[in-house]
Amino acid sequence: MSQAKEYRIFETEVWLPYRVAYGETWTRFFEGMKEQKLYGTQCRKCGRVLVPARSFCPRCFVDTSDWVEVSQTGNLQAFCYTNYRYYGQALDPPYVTALIRLDRTEVDFVHLIGGIDLTSVEAVSSRLAKGMRLHAVWEKVRQGHILDIKHFEPVE
Amino acid sequence: MRRVAITEVAQISGPDSKDNFYDQAYRVTREVLDKAGLSRDEVGTIVSASTDVFHGGISCANAYYWESTGSFMKAGTRQDGESMFALHYAFMKILTGKYDTVLVVGLCKGSENPDNDAITQLIADPFYQRPVGLNETTAAAMQMHQYMEAYGATAEQCATVVEKNLGNALRNPYAHRRGCYSTEEVLASGSMCHPLTDLMCAPKSEGFIAMLLAAEDKAREITPQPVWIKGYGCALDTYFLGDRDLLAGQLPNAARRAYKMAGITDPAKEIDLVELCEPYAFQELLWCEQLGLCGRGEGGKLIASGKTRIDGDLPVNPSGGVLATNPYVSRGLQRVVEATLQIRGHAGEHQVRQQVNTAVCHGSTGFAGQCHAVAVIGR
Amino acid sequence: MARPVGIIGVGQTQHGRREEMSYPDLVREAVLRALENCNLTPDDVDAVVTGTMPSMMEGIAMTQFYFADAVQAVGKPILKTETCGSVGVSIAHTAYYWVASGMADVILAVGHEKMFEGDSQATMVTVLEPYYQRSFLSGPPTAFSLQSQMWSNRFNIPEDKIREAATHISMLHHNSAFDNPYAHVKVRLSRDDVMNAPVIAYPIRLYDVCPNSDGACAVIFASEDKINHLGRKAAWVKGIGYRGEEYFIGDSDKVVWRAAIEAAKEAYDMAGISNPRKELNVAEVYNPFTYQEMIFYECFGFCDFGESPDLVLKGVFDRGGELPVSPSGGVLCTNPIGATGLIRVGEAALQILEQAGDRQIGGVKLALAHAMGGVVQLCGIMILGAHK
Ligand SMILES: [Zn+2]
Repeated sequence: MSQAKEYRIFETEVWLPYRVAYGETWTRFFEGMKEQKLYGTQCRKCGRVLVPARSFCPRCFVDTSDWVEVSQTGNLQAFCYTNYRYYGQALDPPYVTALIRLDRTEVDFVHLIGGIDLTSVEAVSSRLAKGMRLHAVWEKVRQGHILDIKHFEPVE
Repeated sequence: MRRVAITEVAQISGPDSKDNFYDQAYRVTREVLDKAGLSRDEVGTIVSASTDVFHGGISCANAYYWESTGSFMKAGTRQDGESMFALHYAFMKILTGKYDTVLVVGLCKGSENPDNDAITQLIADPFYQRPVGLNETTAAAMQMHQYMEAYGATAEQCATVVEKNLGNALRNPYAHRRGCYSTEEVLASGSMCHPLTDLMCAPKSEGFIAMLLAAEDKAREITPQPVWIKGYGCALDTYFLGDRDLLAGQLPNAARRAYKMAGITDPAKEIDLVELCEPYAFQELLWCEQLGLCGRGEGGKLIASGKTRIDGDLPVNPSGGVLATNPYVSRGLQRVVEATLQIRGHAGEHQVRQQVNTAVCHGSTGFAGQCHAVAVIGR
Repeated sequence: MARPVGIIGVGQTQHGRREEMSYPDLVREAVLRALENCNLTPDDVDAVVTGTMPSMMEGIAMTQFYFADAVQAVGKPILKTETCGSVGVSIAHTAYYWVASGMADVILAVGHEKMFEGDSQATMVTVLEPYYQRSFLSGPPTAFSLQSQMWSNRFNIPEDKIREAATHISMLHHNSAFDNPYAHVKVRLSRDDVMNAPVIAYPIRLYDVCPNSDGACAVIFASEDKINHLGRKAAWVKGIGYRGEEYFIGDSDKVVWRAAIEAAKEAYDMAGISNPRKELNVAEVYNPFTYQEMIFYECFGFCDFGESPDLVLKGVFDRGGELPVSPSGGVLCTNPIGATGLIRVGEAALQILEQAGDRQIGGVKLALAHAMGGVVQLCGIMILGAHK
């Protein structure tokens, strides 16, 4: 029997379907998005407004019962320019992901920045700066998905 | 050695709650803390149990439910694959003296996952066993075949396990599947994977399980009824199904370790109640033998005798067991919760007739029980 | 109550692209080397703890079953610890508790990954929940890019200076990898190569980022009794620490990063360390990204906040510096992710045991090992010492 010089690779794929529940709080959050509204919940103990809405405060570990509609405008905290591809990627690169502190909330909201020239890092960096004002731009047709907000754009 | 007790338990369990995982994990954690009268800050640390492929398609499961299980700014950690591992790890954390209280949480939301066997086939290696259709059910069917052949156990005896356990589940509000079935109905319930019939195989359930362990002094502050962890044992078998003796297995080894630690020399006499992991009906018979509750090959006779019924001398799975409720990952820990309720007399309608001083809890995962974990708990 | 625990054996595979070997055989390579390193047989091992990244990385669920034989765990008790990227240090913590609790005398701890068998980026993205974050955070590079940006903004560190310091770190580790026979990436890089490498996620460039590797690491922990009985030198566990914060990346401050700060503090307190830069002799920091490595220096108290680029450029963390960091070449050159944290522990132990070969730092009495995981979320530390 001859000894193989190179050992074989078995090409296979694993694919599993899942059905994940939104539950009460996130159902309400995404229903709100359909209506072009962003909801957070406030912790009665520490007073923080959390967005997206949470059913409990991660730090105080108590239920958050107060719903608040939060501002769709906020300050840019940080951004990231992505320009590479990988299997299962949700978006077509290039795109800019950002942490945005919506007004009167205590956590950063993760979303995209658009409405600017995305063709290069340089183009993007020249348009963005920490602390700059950004506002949400909505899709015309909304399905209760996080991408019902198309992206955030600089406030002119 | 420090004594470690289970002080409070909580569970959210059933077929499908429509709640999201993140919130359910919080709710069960909140419930056990409220029962214990402790704030999150007062808890030493957290050990959770979950398995990524049984986790709604979200990987690195404990990153997701980190704050849900009260772990913010704590030294939480996680065990994968068998929830009894989390009990063991938490127990050791208290033994070292570093922590006085440890929260143990087992999390599985079957309703979000594909069929269990779509997942268990991924236990099989991609080269040999997976392409030929091996999964937990097919492995169990072969084990059942061998079991019946070797000891003359009958299909009726195996079906009696279903009749008993799903009947017990009628009294358990946390059970997923329950009902009054005759052995004839069980045998005629469809041939899912011969010789297993449909009703002989466990369903796919949700199970969010939580318990608070504490060192002796702390435990007595929290509850007047601490349930002590007296022994723990675990053993892993070899991988390829064809390499294993499916009727010998590693459960005797795991049980021997747990009994030694608990000082049990005659399990059939000293144990009052058993909650064991029987995703396939016949396994209850085989596991009873291997736990030393009856002689080798006598599992069939044991169930036929009625001794393991809810009103028998040695009730086995009065909760309905895994045949009734199968949150794949947390099913082992759910046995511990059920046994704790029985020891305390808090099991409600499925409380057994006689007082339970010592109970055995058992968790099992892998093909035909490749891994077994046994805990002895008691007054 | 807690018994002293020491590391007596370390084994690791040749890390890299290991397509000539099946996954179980790769794991076994590390286990055999660890046993050989301390002259024990599988029969001497009481129990085994293993761990890895998520099952989808290689498409095998619950790998403890698959590797039962490769890690020689048949008939033995087992635990399976998984905490995302921090898993390697968490495995070491599990082994520590197992021995310290008195439930075992000898524990084999094994971490493993075979990243070339799957799609690591696609897998890592599934760490994010599908409702909010998965659409935007392209896994680790995005998260770390956001973090480094907030850091430079917070302390007004000029971008050029950070770039210089990141380049210094990158060249340092890539050079060190040549002294580590197990390291994966071995390339000689010029300053220009690093500075002008393609952007992965701005401001992070190619050589600021770790590779994907195949590899495994096995570490043997033993009780004091066993160590005395064997008459062997040990790297003693002096301190452990672990902290985690919220899953949602926007919920907590990733610059003055509490999970990292408090995990280190817990370990320092246990080890009696008050001035880590002076007292530690070497640190194996989990450094998949050059920028983040500097944030760790600051969170671990190696220097003040905002100060690390200056100290990096002064050579404080070079191999001949005051506190050498990652003389193994670190994660930047080798990253079989389920093993990566345990490799940090193993490398720290080798430094204490004076078995680190060409990458040995002189006179190491106290060493730090670290790993990070989750959504820039979880941090684990283990401190090892030459003396009990
Ligand atoms: Zn709060």
